[in-house]
Amino acid sequence: MATSPNPFIQADGKKPTCLEMLQLIVDDQATEEQRVYFKQHMDHCLPCYKEYNVDLAIRELLKAKCCGGGCPEDIVNQIKSKIKTISA
Amino acid sequence: MESASEEYTARQHYTESEKQTIFNDEFMPHIHSMYNFGYRLTLDRDDAKDLVQDTFLKAYRFVESFQKGTNAKAWLFRILKNSFINDYRKKSKEPNKVDYQEVETYYNSEDVDRQITPDLRVESLKDMMGDEISNALNALDVDFRTVIILCDLEGFKYEEMAKILDIPIGTVRSRLHRARNLLKEKLKSYAKTMGYNNA
Repeated sequence: MATSPNPFIQADGKKPTCLEMLQLIVDDQATEEQRVYFKQHMDHCLPCYKEYNVDLAIRELLKAKCCGGGCPEDIVNQIKSKIKTISA
Repeated sequence: MESASEEYTARQHYTESEKQTIFNDEFMPHIHSMYNFGYRLTLDRDDAKDLVQDTFLKAYRFVESFQKGTNAKAWLFRILKNSFINDYRKKSKEPNKVDYQEVETYYNSEDVDRQITPDLRVESLKDMMGDEISNALNALDVDFRTVIILCDLEGFKYEEMAKILDIPIGTVRSRLHRARNLLKEKLKSYAKTMGYNNA
């Protein structure tokens, strides 16, 4: 088990579930301290380890396949030309 | 325009030259992300072009509602999202598949929370080299699709997403959680068709 104090514990003292910790990590909203703690936690929690790796693989797929390849150049030119007209 | 004026109430005063500088240096660098967001919302490249153009023209017209040096990307995304809802969604080619409130109520139910995650394996995901992930994302209801895009593709924080979408942070978190589970369900069904029976 991770021995350092759990940095996921909120001000009200409620202990977070694995799912709550995992969500902050996967959503990329955790602090560095929380990240380190969770890494240690995964060494002893197989469900978290598996789920984290699935989530990571999905995120990599999303980034590789769903970023669209950039805005067509003609829109950039159209926008710039309309802006010129407005500001003239 | 509500999207530009709500967030930044103090009106700025810029010279023409300052407006141009803000536009070129702070707004234009986000055009590719904006186009991708527009495309993922409308699922149509021509509509995405219109949406992006409209957003940038609005941003220029209301540039004095934007404070130089603040979060231009979040500000632009908010304008685009509002334009999509107010101007585009009404005439959208995409049928409004599910009433939003219905979706939120259904997926907020405890039964769904207990199901948590479909059992999906990394190995099956690694074989998805085609359009599976894109199709799975596009098949989600637009409200779920949006939070995945904002978080995973654009790297926004909860607070920024809450401002862009005009919803509380708690709703951002729960919507993201449910969106991820729905995405996994769709990916799992693709994995099964690829022969991963225990995906």
